[in-house]
Amino acid sequence: MPNLNGKQYAMNAISPMKPWKSWIVRGFFLFLGYFPGAGRDLNNLSFIHFARWVIVGRKQFPRLDPNRAEHKDNLRYDYLLFFSNFNGTWNQYIDAFSAVLSAGLDFIWRRSEKYPGAVPVTPFKTYIQRGQFETDYYYSAYPHAATNDVKAAHRVQAAFDSLDAKRDLPPAEFEQAYRQFVLQVQTDLGATGEAPVGT
Amino acid sequence: MSYLDPTDIQGFALRGYNFPVARFLFLRFPDAKRGREFLSWTLGKITHGGHWPKDEKQCIRKPAVTHNIAFTYAGLAALGVPPASLQGFPVEFIQGMRARHKILGDIGKNAPEHWEPLWQGQPVHTWLATYAQEQQALADTQAAIEAHGAEIIGSQDAAKLVIDGARSEKEHFGFTDGFGNPDYLGMERHTQPGQGKIAPGNGWAPLATGELLLGYADEAGEWPVAPLPHLLANNGTFLVYRKLHQNVASFRAYMKERGRLYPGGEEKLLAKFVGRWPDGTPLELSPEREDPAIVKDDNRNVDFTYGKDLEGTRCPLSAHIRRTNPRDAFGFEGRLVNRRASVSRVRILGVPLNCSDRFCRSDPTSRDRQNLYLPQAHCRLRVRYPVRSSQRCK
Amino acid sequence: MANKNGNIYGLTILSPIKQDAAAPVSPSLELRKYLHELCAHERSPFARIRDVHMARLVVMDDVVFEGSPSHEEHLRYKYLVFEANFDGDLEPFLRKMLDAAREEVGQIWRHCEGFPGTADPDKFIEYMKKCQLETTFYFVDVNDKTVPQTLKALQTQSAVAAFIQKHQGATGGGLREAFRQFSKELAAAKTPHPASVRGREFTGQLV
Repeated sequence: MPNLNGKQYAMNAISPMKPWKSWIVRGFFLFLGYFPGAGRDLNNLSFIHFARWVIVGRKQFPRLDPNRAEHKDNLRYDYLLFFSNFNGTWNQYIDAFSAVLSAGLDFIWRRSEKYPGAVPVTPFKTYIQRGQFETDYYYSAYPHAATNDVKAAHRVQAAFDSLDAKRDLPPAEFEQAYRQFVLQVQTDLGATGEAPVGT
Repeated sequence: MSYLDPTDIQGFALRGYNFPVARFLFLRFPDAKRGREFLSWTLGKITHGGHWPKDEKQCIRKPAVTHNIAFTYAGLAALGVPPASLQGFPVEFIQGMRARHKILGDIGKNAPEHWEPLWQGQPVHTWLATYAQEQQALADTQAAIEAHGAEIIGSQDAAKLVIDGARSEKEHFGFTDGFGNPDYLGMERHTQPGQGKIAPGNGWAPLATGELLLGYADEAGEWPVAPLPHLLANNGTFLVYRKLHQNVASFRAYMKERGRLYPGGEEKLLAKFVGRWPDGTPLELSPEREDPAIVKDDNRNVDFTYGKDLEGTRCPLSAHIRRTNPRDAFGFEGRLVNRRASVSRVRILGVPLNCSDRFCRSDPTSRDRQNLYLPQAHCRLRVRYPVRSSQRCK
Repeated sequence: MANKNGNIYGLTILSPIKQDAAAPVSPSLELRKYLHELCAHERSPFARIRDVHMARLVVMDDVVFEGSPSHEEHLRYKYLVFEANFDGDLEPFLRKMLDAAREEVGQIWRHCEGFPGTADPDKFIEYMKKCQLETTFYFVDVNDKTVPQTLKALQTQSAVAAFIQKHQGATGGGLREAFRQFSKELAAAKTPHPASVRGREFTGQLV
């Protein structure tokens, strides 16, 4: 199913916003851009590779021939597009957000029409399903690796490079360095591989 | 907080039994009429969650036998529950675990085609559990059930391990079991610190009642999915019955071989696998040695968190009890975990076995054929682990 | 700039899809069919580009109607959404995309209004920029490592785990020799081709 590729899930969602409200969301994202600490909880959840929000103004849907009036959309709402590349199943993802990041989610989506709030989770899931649309083609350069796997791999690479620089030490010193290395990387060696089955 | 009527809740869900022997019977109803007749007879016998009486010495007088019952989706349909109600059950219950075996990881050797004959033919309708003080009581009870028209298509005996002639709290791998059933709001029963969820300000609070029982608010602030009318589901719960092969001899051999390389030896490696020493001491509280004082103290033996051990140096990230109940190991004060950790267990039992030492080393039947039975009660069959768990722990 | 986070560029392109009432199968369905059949693994056109971490192509049929009292409205066109996360900057990437995947790019975007074809890179870039939307907020978990660096690190991780397991209990000169040999092999091993490792446990062989 094209929403999935290995351990990654490609989610696409759209929701309508009254234009005067979409400016509040733009402001919030601007604020997040300047104060990354405010997004600390998102970083700590650590199961999203890449995610983006795109506010499309009601006159901003791309037109190749803006002069032909019958090709205008005549929209009243701005639209909030959301694209996420995350690990785990859809249910795990939404549950985790609802449990931990409901304040942030509410701030972003409260301006969307008929948004029910991130808590409780069942009406929230129904709302997302209504606005979600399926991915038709999904590519990943490393489908076997969750974002935690990627971060662990970079740590192992850095530690390995340090150890490698010591490979000409006398045997006793090298052994000491090696043991330090093993201690350092021991929690980062989990095998990558299959994604959990489920919805 | 709701007032719970313990006489309307089955005893094994509310209390968690501790009996030496048990027999699980699997029934089919030939038709709705006979099924309902059997049910009417059984209803009078069901053990509810009310407190057991005490004798003159203030000791609790457990009944000689308990009866408790659970239905599969097929069983409810066979009894004639209307389709509109049946549709209200969560999809996991409707489909059954056989259809969802890949999600559980029951693949390869554990795939449904290798399950016991009981699960290969016509679907089981009802699980009837009898726990008792004496083996004979189980036989008598079964005879009575058969006499009242039940078609018993399978039966499973279970018992606590006997070591050196006495009933033990150990399971077949040699670990003391039975710690820490979760604590829920509204339950009047003996509780221990550590049994609920982490409360703000470092303490423990009971989990929402709806995490165990249908008809009450759960940790997500809503009522769990349940069929209508309310009378059908309220005060009920979902039961998971799982029979697992424990490869005791292989486990022993593996631990012995690996224990040679491990500083601290085999005992410590055993503890690292489980998160408790074989005697039950939590690794988190005592990482270097067993400590009987902690084990005996109900105020301590489940009271610990992993917040100061996020790297897993005391209790490894993949230790059994840490995976089953991560507590605050994922940060966010445990909020990612609370809805998933609460699985109420009836005591684990195994194939009846007599051993002369706690690891059954000298017992000739202690080879790779011990079985473990896990009746577990939970309000949501979709037992999910937080994404971080599935991505970090292998 | 909102489209970039560290080294990673977040490209969002919405291309209006042609409408052809006379066609036996609509362009959007033809496009969907092509996308569903396009290879997403190591033979994917994006694997040839090598700079792409993750990318998707989605046919967006319409906006969503949430129900009364919200107002019901519709898009005039369906859109092909191209969401990509790659190393570096936009123009060099678009040129690489054309070079490495000219055939597939042509087959995909020929279903879209105003597509100038793949012959002229400058016209192609101009077209894509006309369809580009500015990302309002871009979250990237690891924003300072390229695709080759990531693939190499994953290879190292797997090989190191196998090495450590194999040499448990080893000491002194023997350990050092074994490590030196391992280091040489790892350095000589090719960085894995993008999207070529799928669902495999570590084997001790360099994958």
